[in-house]
Amino acid sequence: MIKQFGYFLEIVKGSLITTRHFVVNMFFHILNLVGIKTKRKGAVTRQYPEAPIEVARRHRSLHRLMLREDGKPRCVVCMLCATVCPSECIFIEATEDPDPEIQKYPSNFIIDLNRCCFCGFCVEACPEDAIRMDTGEVELARYSRGDLVYDLEKLTG
Amino acid sequence: MVKIYINDREIEVKEGTTVFHAALDAGIPIPHFCYHPAFAPEGTCRMCLVEVEGMPKLELACSLQIREGMKIFTQNERVREARRGVLEFLLAEHPLDCPICDQAGDCKLQDYYEEYGLFDSRFSEVKDKRGKKIRLGKYLLHDQERCVLCRRCVRFLREVTGTGEMGVFERGGHTKVDTYEEGQQVDNNYSGNLAQLCPVGAITDTDFRFQTRSWFLEAGESICPLCSRGCRITIQAHRGFARFKLPKRVYRIKAVDDPLVNGPWICDKGRYGYSYLDENRATRILKKGESSPDWQEAIDWLSASILRLKHRNRLERVSVVLSSRLSNEELFLAKKLFKDDLGVGRVFFADAPPEEGDDMLLTPDRVPNTRGARELGWEDVPVDMEALNRETDLLLMFGPDFENAHSLSDILGCFEQIETTVLLTPFDGSLSSQVDLLLPTTPVAEKAGSLTNIDGVLRNFQPALPALGHSRAEWSLLIDLGKALDLRFQYYSRLSSPEAVFQEMTGEIPFFEKNVE
Amino acid sequence: MSDILILLIKIVAALVWFLVLTLYLTWLERKESAIMQDRIGANRADFFGIRVIGLFQPFADAIKMMFKEDFTPTFSRRFIHNLAPFVAFFFTAVTVQAIPFGDVLRVGGKEIKLQVLDIDVGILFILAMLSFTVYGVLLSGWASNSRWTLLGGLRGTAQLVSYEVALGLSLIGLVMVFPSLRFSSIVNYQGELLFGWLPQWGILLQPLGFIVFLFASLAESERVPFDLPEGESEIVGFFTEYSGLKWGLYMFTSFMKVLLIACLLTTLFFGGYHVPWLNPDGFHFPWGGEWLLPHGIVVLFQIIMFNVKVIFFCWLQILIRWTYPRFRYDQLMDFGWKFLVPLSVINIVATAIVMTLLK
Repeated sequence: MIKQFGYFLEIVKGSLITTRHFVVNMFFHILNLVGIKTKRKGAVTRQYPEAPIEVARRHRSLHRLMLREDGKPRCVVCMLCATVCPSECIFIEATEDPDPEIQKYPSNFIIDLNRCCFCGFCVEACPEDAIRMDTGEVELARYSRGDLVYDLEKLTG
Repeated sequence: MVKIYINDREIEVKEGTTVFHAALDAGIPIPHFCYHPAFAPEGTCRMCLVEVEGMPKLELACSLQIREGMKIFTQNERVREARRGVLEFLLAEHPLDCPICDQAGDCKLQDYYEEYGLFDSRFSEVKDKRGKKIRLGKYLLHDQERCVLCRRCVRFLREVTGTGEMGVFERGGHTKVDTYEEGQQVDNNYSGNLAQLCPVGAITDTDFRFQTRSWFLEAGESICPLCSRGCRITIQAHRGFARFKLPKRVYRIKAVDDPLVNGPWICDKGRYGYSYLDENRATRILKKGESSPDWQEAIDWLSASILRLKHRNRLERVSVVLSSRLSNEELFLAKKLFKDDLGVGRVFFADAPPEEGDDMLLTPDRVPNTRGARELGWEDVPVDMEALNRETDLLLMFGPDFENAHSLSDILGCFEQIETTVLLTPFDGSLSSQVDLLLPTTPVAEKAGSLTNIDGVLRNFQPALPALGHSRAEWSLLIDLGKALDLRFQYYSRLSSPEAVFQEMTGEIPFFEKNVE
Repeated sequence: MSDILILLIKIVAALVWFLVLTLYLTWLERKESAIMQDRIGANRADFFGIRVIGLFQPFADAIKMMFKEDFTPTFSRRFIHNLAPFVAFFFTAVTVQAIPFGDVLRVGGKEIKLQVLDIDVGILFILAMLSFTVYGVLLSGWASNSRWTLLGGLRGTAQLVSYEVALGLSLIGLVMVFPSLRFSSIVNYQGELLFGWLPQWGILLQPLGFIVFLFASLAESERVPFDLPEGESEIVGFFTEYSGLKWGLYMFTSFMKVLLIACLLTTLFFGGYHVPWLNPDGFHFPWGGEWLLPHGIVVLFQIIMFNVKVIFFCWLQILIRWTYPRFRYDQLMDFGWKFLVPLSVINIVATAIVMTLLK
């Protein structure tokens, strides 16, 4: 009997908690509704598409390929990124560069974002700092899979 | 036998060997750049230094002869320190362009730096500029900056090919390996060995240049089928990516040391002529030009055609065109099946026409197993088109050489008289859609078996690559056909693998018995 | 003729009130639960770019449901399958006609009762109609021809039938105190004052009866602490095989029951449309003050008071739904039969004793 009374007390306490949340939040909602600005808001919700969220500086977002000063990609096709990539989403084709100091540059660099798991290993592996994941672009929804296969032009542009 | 101690381990070795070989036999590899078993020790790289008790200085493992009771240390701190010093000087002028170097992954300098170096460079000076991307031959590029001056290439060109195009020039820090004349080319048939010999990326293949990286490749040993020398090779194939289609599987072929056959070298024809493994391959069974994936059905159809002739007692009107591309086992099975069991009318041999060989490895034959066919008792009967035309109802052709040797119109004219034509070939040709049944088979690289080379040396091989598409090895086809014909079912059922066939062969043919390894 | 017209108007008005309020109950539930959980709740449904704190959401939901595929499983009893949601919906919707929204409205010498069905057996009528809604549960579970919906229907039926006992018994004490089954009489009894100042509301005379009725009616509405017939996230229930607008009808019925229970709680235990100390001619405060009002204003006050009370009880029910976890089935049956039924019997006996002693 005492045990059950204990349950009953907890039930009442539970509803008091939810009531408190309701009343306090409602208070701030009404204050905001009538135009009084308060530091505390009635809800923790962020109105995402209207108020975009700033991604952290080190957040791993869409890749980009860095360029040399003369506009050529920095990538030298060492394929370390393709090697380390756990989802095998990087494909690079090498071409001969006439400059004997560069020798090798990518004629095609494909990242299949359908497969990419954004682990950032490619960035870690790159010896030339040619690939970075710092664009801050996280809204990578497309209407077709083909649009998510990024080639050299999309990655440098 | 002499007793020595390497790293406090007691080892018995033959008298007269060097410390390097003694250690290698004991499973202790000693780092080296310049030493190569094909040449006399040179001792220029100083990488193989070891400590020998009682000797004041470190000694060169590659050239030091062993003595009774010698105590050698290959991994103590003094030795490692010396190797680190050697590496530091080598790297002082070595460009760190591993990302674009095709040797990366196979590079001895990389490996030894991982093992002994791992230091940061103390040289703040600008590295010397030297010749890069110098054309050295049809298949070779030379990069003088990457060179570690091991002189392997110079020695190869002097001692093996005897052409001696290259030498060492200048002195001290300016030493470089170069050709004697400006722009001189190494244009013999063995130039590709230079790229394999080079311990670093100073001499690289143009054929492999920038194609892929070596760590993607998986190697499988096989035998080069492009001439009757039968050199031992390793076929390096890309395992592929999950999402991206690669243009080919095989990216590189390297020589494997086989003292009785080819030594450590192979010719450029074998090294760079691997495109046949991926190009123009027959991968599907074609029955009257239509694709069908069912092997059993195809074999049943073939055996039914043969049995129909058998019931009409017209087996002498069956002709078979064999090829010396087949392995010993396959030729043996063909002999059992076509000669002994069926007793077909005619057996011809169609082989690629001989070309010029050279005095080193390349032989005039362009097929691998002429000697094996001869030892098995096959006679080299050239195809008699007239006989085919008049006296054949069913024609079985092995290999692509028959259609290569005759013009298509000749063959088609001949086929008009023949009821059934069957072609078993790894390669897609113009005849593929003209025959009644095309069975895709495998080249040597994709099957197991044995080949007899021109000197009568027998070598086994295992598949280095998976069979492409629906193709199947000829030996398994012949066994299945033997079973389907139901002549000696028990006999063919027992022969379930090339090894079993080989066992059978050694019992019957004395040549193979004495050649068992 | 004009009587019939007035009756028709009353019927339509009550029904419209009931349906519109139910529609907005879905909005209220979303908003209230969101505010309880520090969220914002549905606020995106816009009407030509106008978003009024999500007020268009119910319409969006309704339109969505209308255009969803109306799927009837193969091998189901098609006619009964289609009939079941309408049974549940009809018998719930009809109950509102017995609820009094206000006192008599006098317009041009005519007296119009703000109640559609002022019948002697009001309470019995509502209990009877509620009993019919069981058919909606049972038939849908059976007609879907799925073993899981059948089990869900059986669970639901058992629960509804069990709690109806407690529901009925809990009202007997009330009927003893206010000797009538007629809603208007019960409300009028509650308008009288106790000790000259305290409104004689049902909750004061029947606190135990109120508690039993509250729990039993919550169980009747089949919502969260008692949502065993159909626990959306975990339990496969009786209307699993419904989709589109028929599914919407079940959902709507469940919200209508919430509103109905709020109406019943208001009418039976909280004085219905009565505002404390408001007489037909205005306020007469017990401490001696007076505030006389015209008749129209008084009726308006009454209707507003009724609505405020109803919305409060809707709020309370939603609060309960979003606070507590679900009963286990044996606990549910224990609670109904071993706790609520004995409690209501005790309530009857105690009420009888007290009434006898006070006589």
